[in-house]
Parts: sequence; C-alpha cells; structure tokens
Amino acid sequence: MGKTSIKIKLITYFLILLFVIIVVIETVKRITGDFYLAQGLSVALAMGIGTIFGIIFSRSLTLRLNKLTNAAREISEGNLTRDIEVISEDEIRDLEEIFALMVSHLRTLLLDMKSVSIKIHETNSTLTKLAKKLLESSNEIDVTAKSIAKSSEDQTEIVRNTTIKLEDGIKVMDELVNQSAHTISKVDEAIKKTQKGETNARETLSHLELVLKEMGEYAQPIIRLPDKVEKIKVVTNVMEAIAQKTDLLSLNASIEATRAGESGKGFAIVAEEIRNMAENSKQSSQAITRLVEDILTDNKFLKEFLVKNQTDLDKGREIIRGIVQTFGDMLFGVKEIFSEIKSMEAATIRQAKELRSFSDKFRELASFASQNFESTQKTVISTRNQKVEVRKIVSTIRLLDRLSEKMMETQQHFTLPEQPQQLPENQPEENQP
Amino acid sequence: MKLFVFKSKDEFIGIESDYVHRIIDDSKVTPVPLTPEPYTGLLYHRGELFDVINMRLLLGYPVDGSAETTRIIILKWLNKKLAVIPDEITGMIWIDDNSKNTNEFYHENHKIRLITPDDLWKKLSELSYGHNKI
Repeated sequence: MGKTSIKIKLITYFLILLFVIIVVIETVKRITGDFYLAQGLSVALAMGIGTIFGIIFSRSLTLRLNKLTNAAREISEGNLTRDIEVISEDEIRDLEEIFALMVSHLRTLLLDMKSVSIKIHETNSTLTKLAKKLLESSNEIDVTAKSIAKSSEDQTEIVRNTTIKLEDGIKVMDELVNQSAHTISKVDEAIKKTQKGETNARETLSHLELVLKEMGEYAQPIIRLPDKVEKIKVVTNVMEAIAQKTDLLSLNASIEATRAGESGKGFAIVAEEIRNMAENSKQSSQAITRLVEDILTDNKFLKEFLVKNQTDLDKGREIIRGIVQTFGDMLFGVKEIFSEIKSMEAATIRQAKELRSFSDKFRELASFASQNFESTQKTVISTRNQKVEVRKIVSTIRLLDRLSEKMMETQQHFTLPEQPQQLPENQPEENQP
Repeated sequence: MKLFVFKSKDEFIGIESDYVHRIIDDSKVTPVPLTPEPYTGLLYHRGELFDVINMRLLLGYPVDGSAETTRIIILKWLNKKLAVIPDEITGMIWIDDNSKNTNEFYHENHKIRLITPDDLWKKLSELSYGHNKI
C-alpha cells in the first residue's frame, strides 16, 4: 500500500471541496441563476464542509498524536508493553514508526542493559570470588613468604653456623693431615726400629745358642764337682776321726798325767794343748764338712738351677724365636699399617679438599639464603601491596555491583512484554566479600 | 785339785780326776734286762766289765738324741768301777782345794755341780729294778 502524505490528502480534500463548490455553484446557478447566491451558498457550503473536514481531519490527527502521547507517557512511566499501531500512510506514520522503532530499541536496550547488569553481577560475583581467593592466596603468600623469610633467616643462621663448623672441621682435618704425616714418619721409624729389633732378636738368638753351648760345656765341671766333693768329704771324715782319736788320746793322756801327780803336770799341759789342737782340728774338719755340705747343697742347687736355666733358656730360645717371628709379623703389620695410613692420609687430604669445596658451596648457599631472605621480604611487601590493590579491586567491584544494582533497578522500572529471561542461578549477595 | 768336767743336758758336772780311769770311744754296751732305766748295760773293756749308766737319765732328764759324744767315762775308785755316758766331755780344770767340800761352784760363769762316784752309785742303787725295762 502506497504512502499518502497529509499534504496530498489536504490537496485532494481541497480539490474535492472545490469540485463540490463548483458543482453547487453551477447547480444553484442553473437552478436560481443567481451567481452570487450560488457563490454564497457555495462559500457557505465550502466553509461548512471545510469545517467538517477540518474537524474530522484534525480529530484524526489529534487522536493519533494523543495515542502517541499516551504511549510516550506510558513509556515514561516504564511501560514498554504497549505496541504502537501503524494504520495510516501519512507523515504521522513515520512518527509512529520512529516511535515504535524507538520503543523497540528501548526494549532491546533495556533487555541488553538487563543482560549486561546480570553479566556485570555475575562477573562481579566471579570477580568477588576471585578477589576473595586472591586475597586468601595473598594472605597465604604473605604467611608463606613470612615463613620462608623466617626459614631463610634460620637457614642463613644455620648455614653460617655450619660454615663455622665446617671451618673448624677443615682445621681439624688439617691437623689430622699433619697428624697423619707425623704418624707416617713415626710408623716409618717404627718399621726401621722393628727391622732393627728383628735383627737384634736374631743376633740375640744366635748369642743365646752360643751361650747354651758354652753353658753345656761349663756345666760339666759343675756336674763332676759332687764326686770330687765326696772325696773331700771322705778325707775330712778321716781327719775328723783322727781329731777325735787325738782328742780322746790327749784326754786320756791328761788323765794319766794327773794321776802321775806333780811330775805329770808338764805332760798334762802338753796333753791339754794337743787336745785343744785336736779340738781345733775337729772343728776345722767339721767346718770343712759343713763347707763341703754347703758346696754340695750349692752344687745341687746349681745343678737344679742349671737344669732349670737350661729349660728356661730353651724356653727363652723358643720365646726369642717367637719374638723373631713376631718381629717379622710386626714388620709385615707395620708395613700394612704404613700403607693404610698412607691411603688414609690421601683420603684425609681429599676429604679436607672436599670440605673446603663444601664450605665454599655453603658460603654460596648462605649468599643464596640471604638473597632468598631479601626476595621473601620483597614478596611480603609485594603481597601487602597486592592485598591493598585487591581491596581496591573489591571496592571497585562493589561500586560496579552497586551500579549494576542501579541498572537493575532502572530496568525494573520498565515493564517489558513477556519473554523468556536469563536470570543468574546463584545469588550474588552470598558472594559479597 | 784337778777336776774332770762333763755335761749332761745343760748341767755341768764335775768329778775329781783321780776317779777317772779312762775315756773310751765306740764301745759296745750290752743291755741288761730288769735294770733301772739309767742303767744302760754292761761294758767289756780290756778284760773288765763295767756297769754303764746314762748320766742324763740318772739326773732325771729324758734322752732326746741331742748328745754330742759317743764316749764313755770309766771311773775307778777303791775297788769299785763304773762307766758313765755323758752328753759332752768338757775337759780338765784346776780348782781350789777348798772347793772340794762344796756341792757346786762357778767356773768361767758356769755353775759346776760336784759329784763323787759313790753319789752316782748310791743314786743308781736307790732306783727300782725291772718295772720299765726288759
């Protein structure tokens, strides 16, 4: 259907009215022949019809404008449910169409705004969750960073103490190395002394063999001595018997001399002297006998001693042989100890070197721990700043949330035609930080 | 006066040298049964028999084997004779004649008991016979 403008409509109405007037004038003129009457009638008619048309036309326009006004008023009141009817084909139609388009756009805008506000709300909720998590993470990071800082500090202290102990250990290892060198020299000396001891023991063994041989030779006179002493004993027994006989003889002589009286006095003195001599001889014989007995006893003891000495010397020879063997074993053992100590010294030197390397690494570790401490301090500061920023974000989110709530309120001010709505499933208020 | 001195146990006993006939050695004494214990036996010497008494037992000392001599003193006086076994013969000493009538005197710090052969014989005869000797 083609669009008819009001101007054309008015021209059409005017032409129709003009045609009617002309027709009426012609008709009245024909009937009455009066032109003026006809003209007057026609004017009056024209005015009447024009008024009627004008009223009808203006009324139709007013009605439509009123409809639009009412629709605008309802929209201003938030009612967007009403549809704008487009019935004419004139210029008002454009207005109606524009108005309807505007309403449509407004509906779309409101729906979009609602959708946006819902999305903002959802985003706010998500952001709030994230901010909360971020804040918790920041707190955890803060706590962890503090713990790391404390641990780093402790670690630095431990590393420092360990470094000091390692330095002490290195000193001890150095002393150990020196001690090992000293021990090696001592063991070397011990090897020489052991070798000398073995040589001396061998010489002692050969000397002992010689002494044993000589002792065997020297023991023969001692073994033969009792026979000779027994002969001496026989002689002394004879001497003692003679002395006893002499004593007895002199005693009887002195008795006889006494019996002889005064003349026998001189003989009695001689007999007494002889008796004294016999007594002395007897005592000497007894002394010799005692000495011989002592010699025999000593000889017996000496023989026993020799036998025992021989046994002891045999044992000593075995012992010295054992000592020689022991010296050989000792030499072997000391040489083994020497090689062991040598390898121990090398191991100690390696260990000292490794300890030094270990100490250097520990120094580096101490430096790292110190840097770690500084980094964790920085991390603590950063997390604190981050928390401040997160709090700002949270306040911004709350601002956005309030804006979205206002948008929702604004959107709720308008009533939209029934259509499916996408509402958020969760309640945003629950996730307020 | 010359005195013959011998020793029994620790006691020095002196007897006048005139009573001493001889000192003999290594003589065999034959025991006689049922005689007093100090009576050692009979001694045969140069055709004579002598009664032998052990001076130690006679003085009342036990025999302990400590006697140093095997000699026997043969005493003769008047027509009597006796043989005495001492522990040790000391020898002859000269004493003052005034000491003859005393029972004991000191010589070189030793107490010497003076006896006579009759004293010995009397002491022997006072002993009981045969109760402790077979």
